[in-house]
Amino acid sequence: MRFVTLAAAFLFSFSAAAQTPPGYPADYSKTVEAAKKEGKLIIYATTDAVAATPLVKDFEALYPGISVEYSDLNSTEVYNRFISESAAGSTADLIWSSAMDLQVKLVSDGKALTYASPEIPNLPKWAVWKNEAYGTTNEPIAFVYNKRLVPAAEVPQTHTDLEKLLAAKPDFYKGKVTAYDPERSGVGYLFVNEDVKNWPEAWNLFREFGKTSIRLYTSAGAMMERVGSGEHLIGYGIFGSYALGRAKKDPGLGIVLPKDYTLITSRVAFISKQAKNPNAAKLFLDYMLSKRGQTIIANQALLYSLRDDVDGPASVKKVREEVGDKARPVEIGPGLLENLDQMTRLAFLKKWQAAMKGQ
Amino acid sequence: MPYAVIRFSVLAVMAIAVLAPLSLVGYQSFLSAPFFDSMARFTLRAYQFVFAESDFWVAFGTTLIVAGGMTVIALPLGAALAFLMVRTDLPGRAWLEPLILIPLFVSAVVLAFGYVVALGPVGIISTWVKGAVGFLPWNIYSLTSLVVIAGLAHVPHVYLYTAAALRGLGSDLEEAARITGANPWQVALGVSLPMVMPSILFAGVLVFFLGFELFGLPLVLGDPQGLLVLTTYLYKLTNKLGVPSYQLMAVVVVVIVAVTAPLVYMQRALLKQAQRYVSVRGKGLKQAPLPLGPWRWLALAAILAWFTVTVVVPIAGITLRSFVVSWGEGVKLLEVLTLDHYAELFDYPNIERGILNTLGIGVFGGALAVLCYTAIALSVHRWQSGWTRVVDYLAMAPRAMPGLVAGLAMLWVFLFFKPLAPLKATLFSVWLAYTVVWLAYGMRLISGTLLQVGPELEESARTIGASPLRTQLDVTVPLIRYGMIASWLLIFLIFVREYSTGVYLLGPGTEVIGSLLVSLWGTGAIDLVSALSVVNVLMIALGLAVALRMGVRLHG
Repeated sequence: MRFVTLAAAFLFSFSAAAQTPPGYPADYSKTVEAAKKEGKLIIYATTDAVAATPLVKDFEALYPGISVEYSDLNSTEVYNRFISESAAGSTADLIWSSAMDLQVKLVSDGKALTYASPEIPNLPKWAVWKNEAYGTTNEPIAFVYNKRLVPAAEVPQTHTDLEKLLAAKPDFYKGKVTAYDPERSGVGYLFVNEDVKNWPEAWNLFREFGKTSIRLYTSAGAMMERVGSGEHLIGYGIFGSYALGRAKKDPGLGIVLPKDYTLITSRVAFISKQAKNPNAAKLFLDYMLSKRGQTIIANQALLYSLRDDVDGPASVKKVREEVGDKARPVEIGPGLLENLDQMTRLAFLKKWQAAMKGQ
Repeated sequence: MPYAVIRFSVLAVMAIAVLAPLSLVGYQSFLSAPFFDSMARFTLRAYQFVFAESDFWVAFGTTLIVAGGMTVIALPLGAALAFLMVRTDLPGRAWLEPLILIPLFVSAVVLAFGYVVALGPVGIISTWVKGAVGFLPWNIYSLTSLVVIAGLAHVPHVYLYTAAALRGLGSDLEEAARITGANPWQVALGVSLPMVMPSILFAGVLVFFLGFELFGLPLVLGDPQGLLVLTTYLYKLTNKLGVPSYQLMAVVVVVIVAVTAPLVYMQRALLKQAQRYVSVRGKGLKQAPLPLGPWRWLALAAILAWFTVTVVVPIAGITLRSFVVSWGEGVKLLEVLTLDHYAELFDYPNIERGILNTLGIGVFGGALAVLCYTAIALSVHRWQSGWTRVVDYLAMAPRAMPGLVAGLAMLWVFLFFKPLAPLKATLFSVWLAYTVVWLAYGMRLISGTLLQVGPELEESARTIGASPLRTQLDVTVPLIRYGMIASWLLIFLIFVREYSTGVYLLGPGTEVIGSLLVSLWGTGAIDLVSALSVVNVLMIALGLAVALRMGVRLHG
């Protein structure tokens, strides 16, 4: 009983304080008032609703009177729907997607509302662009492997390890390694492209992939399911968040954050310029970036928080413990637009196709 | 109101519902950017790009092989099945009938994923076979497997048409052959087969057509080896340039429509042929079943084997997956049993709504769709006019669009046709998309029922002075009411299993199981996918049971 009272008091103090959180501008309560008048917030996101529910519930508890309509779609669908609807005049208020390059394109096309979040001082530099696009997570890109079937001594700890392993045991790993298909999946393209930028030997690894007939998929689910079952043994380039969620349920799935360098990607959020509920969208953005929101991201949603002052199994601290200073965040900014340049892209894919033939 | 006005307004509404999304796609294929973009210019570049792609031609070739291969498999099996069921003393015909039709109602993604769990490289049956013979005699991801599975899954289509034709045919000719000493084999090949040939060919054209829009099976089974058919090539195309390029997708859809249009023409020609043969139709012909002797058990075993491979194996696979944490090489299934996935379904915020919506769209949407199909079918019923040909083409056209594209085109219609805009976020949008996509199927159901109404009944009403509309409302509709109820149940089953069309219309309030499955599949929540699939299969089983209970005959 006492616990309940305490908890209630704690919650109460939280929501009372929420009117103007510490460090926020004094007129923030005006935004809160306006948001409550809007009463509603529409979000299109790639994060599946299971992971996002704790965030949404907590947000609704923090700001009673604002109800969130949350739609989860894949990144292509989010993009298609957003541009179609925004051409027709009305669309979602907040867009939150893991397709970093598509998000950056939408922002550079002038689809985003400029809004300087009061949380900016607490965020890493790479995560904010033009006060429009905000990185909300710090997701390491991992290897996953089948614990029952990959001998412990062979589990690759670095990209170089993996390259050597495939060169040494091509028959054992033939058709047993899997990754996103850069030709069919946007994130797949992003990952291998970042590999090439961060590691001069990346093409050698890709040629080993080709020689061992790597299996390429379009969904993380399909890959992890098959690594878990033993149909494949090693999954390359898997969102750490998905891997962590899956490993919690399936103890046979192992995760490695590569020690030579670990790519860090982020789910990028922006507020639509055509938002019908811009104030509610601002509150949600600030909330996701706040210590309270990030704590949920690190402990319940397991999407990897990006603030230094947050603890949990999926936090930036945890990543640092494992890979030290080898984290390589993908910077949110115009650099990502190169990915969408047709000529560059087709040329890269041509090289990739050759690598898949071992050339 | 004169009847012609009613007729033309019904047909006009139908034409708009079909042509609006289709012409948007056609228009898009000639542009350089999304049609709503102010930068869009007329150009043939999209065609040049797609036709220059080697992937496109590979996918095109594979599609032809798949469509052709599955037709070659489904035709003889379906025809043989129909002959056994309608004309012979095969044991257990009464309970076999509903079983045979089950593959029609199970979602292809559910089947495909079930196959991976059961027959994949480390699948449950595969592991067992490997243990017994030392190697795995099949590769579930090969083109051959895809063709065989698709072929077996389409046997019911051929069965439906052939069985209907056989039932319409008096057995007197066959009996005459028997009396003059022919054995059952000779009767089947020499007498029955030639008479129902047009119907079989009609079904063959349909299966070939369906081969072009196959999506769920190649999506899951073709993924590991990068096997592409036109519908999955669309996916690849979406990503090739980084930004989804509608003009390229539109080109592929235009190609599919162009290739499949002649098939509709062939179907019409065959249908005319079929009707020419059915000259001995009439009531009261007693059909004496042909005795098969000891062969009857072999025949039964063959049918059960087909059923096991096509339905039992994949559904067992997906059901098993929904009760375990993990599976595969080195996993002892008894140690990983769980009910968590089902419990998790209830934590998932949209799933309850999704299940309710799916039921709603099946039950109420299905009824409404049947009313629409009936209105259209009635307006061309006994109408001697060239317009009926146009209606036939229109009805088939939406089916040539892959579900995902049809859904996207429908979204555009709701966005840019302002009077419809307020309905976009409601289930109405999903309903309209489903109704249009399944137009051909629904029309066929209703016209099948209408064909059973003898013209003399309608003519007598007309003779005593009833207007055409009154005749239809007071004579025709009451006569086909059971057929309409049967169609309603069949449409319910089809709407409940539909998965790709609703994806772009998915939003708060419009969740349906099918599109939730697709979106969960992407993020890796296979646990939920399998549990939800089982729920979906149960809903379909329940629908089927109700249908049988109410005495609905599952064929026209």
